[in-house]
Order: sequence, then structure tokens, then C-alpha cells
Amino acid sequence: MASDPQAFLRDLIERQRLQSLAVSSTGFAFDPRSGQSFTINRTGLATLEHLRRTADIDETVSALSTRYGVPADMVLGAVEVFVRQLARYLV
Amino acid sequence: MEDSDRGDDDAWEPPFIQPHRHDINKFGRYASPDQERARIDGHDIEDLAAAYGSPLFVASERRLRENVRRIRQAFENRYEGTVVHGWSYKTNYTSALCSILHQEGSWAEVVSRFEYEKARSLGVPGRRIIFNGPHKPRESLERAIAEEARLHVDHLDELSLIEAIGRDRGECVPVTLRLNFNTGYTDPWTRFGFNLESGQAHEAAARVRRSRHLRLTGLHSHIGTFILEPRAYGEQARLMCRFLAEAEADGHTGIDTLDIGGGFPSMNALQGIYLPPEQAVPEVDDYAAEVCAALKEGLDGRPPPTLILESGRAVVDDAVSLIATVTGTKRLPDGRRAAILDAGINILFTALWYHHPVKLARPKTGEPEETVLYGPLCMNIDVVRQSVRLPPLVVGDRLVINPAGAYNNTQWMQFIEYRPPVILTHRDGGLSVIRDGEGLDDLCRHDHVPPHLAPPLD
Repeated sequence: MASDPQAFLRDLIERQRLQSLAVSSTGFAFDPRSGQSFTINRTGLATLEHLRRTADIDETVSALSTRYGVPADMVLGAVEVFVRQLARYLV
Repeated sequence: MEDSDRGDDDAWEPPFIQPHRHDINKFGRYASPDQERARIDGHDIEDLAAAYGSPLFVASERRLRENVRRIRQAFENRYEGTVVHGWSYKTNYTSALCSILHQEGSWAEVVSRFEYEKARSLGVPGRRIIFNGPHKPRESLERAIAEEARLHVDHLDELSLIEAIGRDRGECVPVTLRLNFNTGYTDPWTRFGFNLESGQAHEAAARVRRSRHLRLTGLHSHIGTFILEPRAYGEQARLMCRFLAEAEADGHTGIDTLDIGGGFPSMNALQGIYLPPEQAVPEVDDYAAEVCAALKEGLDGRPPPTLILESGRAVVDDAVSLIATVTGTKRLPDGRRAAILDAGINILFTALWYHHPVKLARPKTGEPEETVLYGPLCMNIDVVRQSVRLPPLVVGDRLVINPAGAYNNTQWMQFIEYRPPVILTHRDGGLSVIRDGEGLDDLCRHDHVPPHLAPPLD
């Protein structure tokens, strides 16, 4: 099992788990594999979008840091926690 | 972009994904937090915390008076005799709150030498003090007898001690016997008083009858705490009336009070109770109706004795709030959000058995999420709420915890942190500090350092 966030992300993408998650613009998400639904907050939606597109945590952090005007190290910790949440819920 | 130019959509908050719960309460959706800034009796929470610090207990004079009047009125409306409320000191003996209730006509119900002395220091005459509890030192009993307090007797050794004092004083001391029994609705509290089913209560009454220095003037029982079944009190009243009739038949003709104790619940969320308090907690009128109907039937035309209620938490719990402040946030490895508060079980002892309602003082922003609330203690057990839905929290956010008035300002402990002040919101809109916050001098006043240990240390 992967242990670092980038490895978690790679595993999620290889298993098509991020791509298969159905997400509405209001933050409602549905996992067709488990039947579980979720709420994703506004910054979570933006983060997910970048993760899906780039498959890279550093690029996602850089983009979010610029967009929201907050230091990259602050964004990095939050994105890593978010990726761990995704890995936990999208088993 | 300047921060001031950013709209809410551009504000950073940590991203999260939250699974939807399927054990949603069948009575409805989870309530969303209020959009308004929280206030207590018109006072803004932020203003109170800025002026008096955090954490901070805030008591409402208006609510306290309303509560005790409502409870007493519920019984007075249904009972032909006199109704007395005995304020349970152990529930909250903050002096100003006791004084409010004494202004409202409540007697003092005390259970220790300290509480007795406190009631007297607040100006309560002995004849308006109910002296309860399993431990009454001889000197306290001597004072209470001299001051005509009402003695509720817990065990035979205490009865013997009272009899001995009566003999020494050349008096016949009035006593109330505390009874315990099984109503069939709650687990009986058999450790206090004399048991009915085993015959112990009858034996105690016989012992009083044989003594020239004792006379039975009252019966008391307290069937438990946070009792959600009004019929339990109806059965209690029936059993007490039956014992009263038997005692009178045996020659005890001076019984003039029936004390049904307390135990009425407050609008708090007891752990282990599925329903929310709005659904689980009956109206006080329901309790009064059960008790008074049973008394009417059980007294069977006898002149009604004075009915004493010792309700504590139902009177004070929602009259006191605790303001706490978020001092840190974190995401736990299992994905849950957590916040560290400046108030924990050191001052909110009842967090051990309540799911205290918690409200964010400012208007909510962001999606609510299950959040763990930790206190400030460096102890793993210091958890204010294991799980409560709250919007994203940031350092400095104020939370309001209510009800918090029962058993916290008495069972709180000086452990690791100083205990905070208590303020009172007056009916006229004013504010008073009714208990100072602690400082180092308060905590060290009782310490003594022998000379050979005095600083400076090498």
C-alpha cells in the first residue's frame, strides 16, 4: 500500500477512482463503485479538478497557491490531507 | 489581489471530502448552524469574550428566574397544599445564582457542612434549609438543630446521633426520613436512605416513634437523576403516600412535608439517548400532572402536607452558557477535522455524560463537517465533543456551549489550567462578574514551603 500522498494519488488514478467519481458543480459527489455519496467543499472541488488534470500534487499546490493567494507550504499540507481522505474513502 | 478584494469564493479554506451519513435522525435533517451572530440576553458573544476573556461562563438571571417559576407554577397549579422549591446547592452554588433563587422563594437544599455554612452565609435562615446527604458531622448537626433546619436522615447511625444531640439539648428533634424504593421505572438508588421493600424504612420509623427525642415530621425520597419518565414520579408519590398512611396508623401524626427530591431532566443531550432533547425531555407539566394526580389519590382526603421539590439541573442548566475559543485546528489521520478549545473537561465536567449542544458564535461559512472538539488539557480524555457538525473553524472562533449550568461550576476541577470567571447578565441588561477567574495566588494560597526548600535554589 502506498504511504506518501503522491503515491496515494498515483494509485487512485491508476485504478480510475478519481475519474469515475461523479461530481456536481455544487459539491455533491457520488462513487458508483461503492454507492457512497459525499460532500466536497469549494476548495475541494478546485483541488480535485487540478489533481485529475495534472496527476501531480506539486503542480496542484502551485496552482492553488496562486489562485487563492496563500503560501504554498500552507496549501501543500492541506492538499496532502485531502489526498489521504480521497484514498481512504475511494477504496 | 489584495485580501480585502477577495470575495468568499476566493477565500482559502482547507479542501475536504465528507461522506454522507446514513444514520441521519429520522425526525428530520440536521439543523444548519444559525446565520446570525450568537448572543446571550442581547449581549454579543465576541464582545463578552473581549471584555471578560475566554473561556467564560455566562449566567442569565432572566432564564434562571423563568425556569424556577415555571417549575413551581406547574406544581402549584395542580396541588392543593403548599409547594416549596429547595434549591439543590450542589448543582451550582455560585453565590449570586443561589441568591437569585432565594429571592424567588427557594429554600436551600444542602448536603454537606460547607453547603450548610454557605447557605447560612447567604442569609438563608435555618428553618428554610433542608439538610440532606449521607455525611453530616456532629458539629454541623448540632448547629442545624439549634437553627431549626430540616434534617433528612440517611441511616440509623445518623438517627442515633441526632437522638443523642436531642437528649443533650433536652429537645425532641424533628426529622425527615429519606426513603428508597423501586418504582419499576428506574434503577433504584438504594445507597441513600432507608429501604422500603426490606422493611428498613418501617424499622427507622418505629425507632423514631420509640424515642422521646425524635419526632417524624417529613418523608423524603429522590429516585434518580435525569429521569425521562414522568410516571416514575407518579409511582414515587403513590409509594410515599402509602408509607405516610402506614406511619400515621402507627402513631406518627406530625408528618407535614413530603419531599420528592429532584432528578427532572434539562434540555441537554444525555449520551446514550437516541432522541434529541427536544424529543426526549418531557415538559415539567407532565411531571407535575403525574405527581399531583398520585398525591390527590394517595392522600385520600388527608390535609395536604407541604410538597418539596429539589430540582437542580432543570432550573439552572440552560441558564448558564460556556463561551470557548478555538486555539488550533488539525486533521486527524482518519480524516476527521479536529479543533482544540481553551475549555475542556476541567471546567465542563459534564462533557463526560452529555453531548453538549455547541454553536458557532459567528455566521457560518463553508460546509459543516463532523468535528472533534478537544479541550486544552494535556490528557487524552479531554474531549468536549467526540463528533459535532460544525463549519470550518479557524483560530479565534468563539463557540457557545449551552446548557452548561448544572454541575460544572461545582464539579469543575483546578487541574492544569486556571478556572475562568463567571458573569451574570442582569434582567435590566447590565452585567456583573459573579465569580472571579483564578490566578496563581488563588492556587498557591494553601501551599507552604518549609524554610529549607525556600528559593532561591542552587
